[in-house]
Amino acid sequence: MAGDKKATPAILGRGPGKPIKINQEWVVIAISVILFVVFSLGLDKFLSEGNIIALLKNVSILGTLAVGMGFVVVGRGIDLTMVAVMVVGVAFSIWISSWGIDFTLAALIGAGLAALLGLFTGIMIAFAEIPPIFATLAIASSIYGSGRIVFASDVLYAPNNVQWLKWIGSGTVFGLPASVIIFGVVAAAMGIFLRKTRFGRLVYATGDNPSAARNMGLPTRPLIVTQYVISALIAFTAGLIMTGLVTGINTRLYNSSLIYDVLLVVVLGGIGLSGGQGGVRNVIVGTILVGILTNGMTILNFSYTSQNLIKSIILLIALAIDAIINPRDEQTSQSGDI
Amino acid sequence: MTILKTLAAAGLAVATLFSATSLATAQETDQVGRQVYLDAVKGKKVIFIPISQGFDLNQAWVAVWQRHAARYGFSIEVRDPNGDTNAGIRAMQGAIAEKPDLIIVQNPDVQTYARLLKQAQQSGIKVMQVNMQSATQTDSYVGNDWIEMGKLEMTELAKSCTGPKAPSHKVVWLAGVQTGAANIYMRTGIDEVLKQYPELQLVSDQPADYSSEKARQITETVLQQHPDLCGIMGIWDNAEVGAGAAVAAAGKQDQVTIVTNGAGSDTGCQSIKNGLLDVIYNFNAPIQGEIAAQQISELLQHPERKAGSEKTIFFGPVTRVDKTNASGRNCWKLDELK
Repeated sequence: MAGDKKATPAILGRGPGKPIKINQEWVVIAISVILFVVFSLGLDKFLSEGNIIALLKNVSILGTLAVGMGFVVVGRGIDLTMVAVMVVGVAFSIWISSWGIDFTLAALIGAGLAALLGLFTGIMIAFAEIPPIFATLAIASSIYGSGRIVFASDVLYAPNNVQWLKWIGSGTVFGLPASVIIFGVVAAAMGIFLRKTRFGRLVYATGDNPSAARNMGLPTRPLIVTQYVISALIAFTAGLIMTGLVTGINTRLYNSSLIYDVLLVVVLGGIGLSGGQGGVRNVIVGTILVGILTNGMTILNFSYTSQNLIKSIILLIALAIDAIINPRDEQTSQSGDI
Repeated sequence: MTILKTLAAAGLAVATLFSATSLATAQETDQVGRQVYLDAVKGKKVIFIPISQGFDLNQAWVAVWQRHAARYGFSIEVRDPNGDTNAGIRAMQGAIAEKPDLIIVQNPDVQTYARLLKQAQQSGIKVMQVNMQSATQTDSYVGNDWIEMGKLEMTELAKSCTGPKAPSHKVVWLAGVQTGAANIYMRTGIDEVLKQYPELQLVSDQPADYSSEKARQITETVLQQHPDLCGIMGIWDNAEVGAGAAVAAAGKQDQVTIVTNGAGSDTGCQSIKNGLLDVIYNFNAPIQGEIAAQQISELLQHPERKAGSEKTIFFGPVTRVDKTNASGRNCWKLDELK
């Protein structure tokens, strides 16, 4: 009997062999599969090609943002400025293009602004050592506030004659919408970056134990700054997807629950907020679950409020199952766990 | 002596006559009631608590009111809670404590300010509500007849979606937020029309939260379920452009009629010209602002009438705008109002 008890953690993936790892990612995949099957059987046309593409298209912005957020969270940070950078960066591009500057150039300038904002956030966190949650919360508010003063209206419409923006909105590659392709490219690039490059591995090291990483001589501060610059640029990309899709951007989006939805996707997918674990695969898993849920509930004509309620309950269930299967103890918990 | 007396009397009479005439002339040079009016409004204090000043309609109102305030020497202060209900409550409490002559309020929903509005009236402050009503009726309401708006839009869809040429009888209602006064009343109007046309089929009824991206997502999903969809009606032109984008992406612009309402700003007209929207019921915010300005003058002119002693309602004009008349007065620009 005692032997059985010792064997259990090995089966669950805690041993060195790691045969099957039942972790949160698998719980979420299981829930997604169950929902997918239930919706496919219960809802007419859920399984149609058009609906699956619509489902993916509807989460492309969320997923793109979540890739950036996941990247920061892996390094034990959090970037609550993403939505603010997204709306203000793109709104800034549209605003300067209204002076007669070509929109392509304006978009590049906007991207530059987003990178600068990310640089500033990164410096505040890495060098001023403000905890990321407070630094980004405050900076997000300042970015949005400044935008609010500069742009007269919440809603800014992009010029109507920009071909590449039209392509983002309605173009397709092999039948897949451009917005989904962009999400895929951003996710793939980030996946390779995290897994295959030295920089990526250093992000994991810093996220797992920042003090140890620094003592080892890793350049943790420049690493952190770079992460926030990249997440800001990803946020700007998500903003361009949105502008392409709906012809303009509403800066009021900053006040919506979008940033929490992004966090939901990241946490749901299984990237722990304590850093050092998970990757792009987790983000995709989380994004797809939210996509299936939202799509099914929209077809079922659930109200917005009940949709949010159900989304939160599913998140809670996923976290609870994970906590039961993988209980935290002195050995598994990390310093800095939230 | 008698002659002298008579002459003196005659002279006196003539003099009196002259002086009377000159007195009458002096009175006539000042327009009747003018000075009383100018004195009544001069130096008065008006506080406006909007939902947010980022909306086109709010900007138009305030532009008009500021012009009036500058002309007649009363002050108008805007306390912008920027979409935050709690900040709005604080702004209301602050305004009541300051005892202005008039509070103008645009309610985020029917309940939030209901008690505060009562309190304001009890403490002797007159209250005018604009466009979005509270459960509490106050001295004045200037804005839309939202039940009429719901009827107008659904009747428009009934025209396109009940004839022999209609692609189907399927229609969609994209609400804003379910607790907003406009939403609740529009729904009443919609239900009345649906009763009149029992063949109309309301296939989706979900709030898009005044977000164009959310509107796009719902429309995209609904179009997959109901490829023969005939019409979509919404509550704000700046959000329904997202529905228009989804319909355009599906190449169904000729099949699906999109009806919404709006403040009549030029961006709405552009959306019609770009084929994203078919009809906007335009409630012309500048004209609404002028009507409200007249109400401000009236409420300020009669300090003897107690706050809450009368309850006036005025619904502004509504113009049906489509691609044939999307020009001129139906498409205002903020700079032209100032």
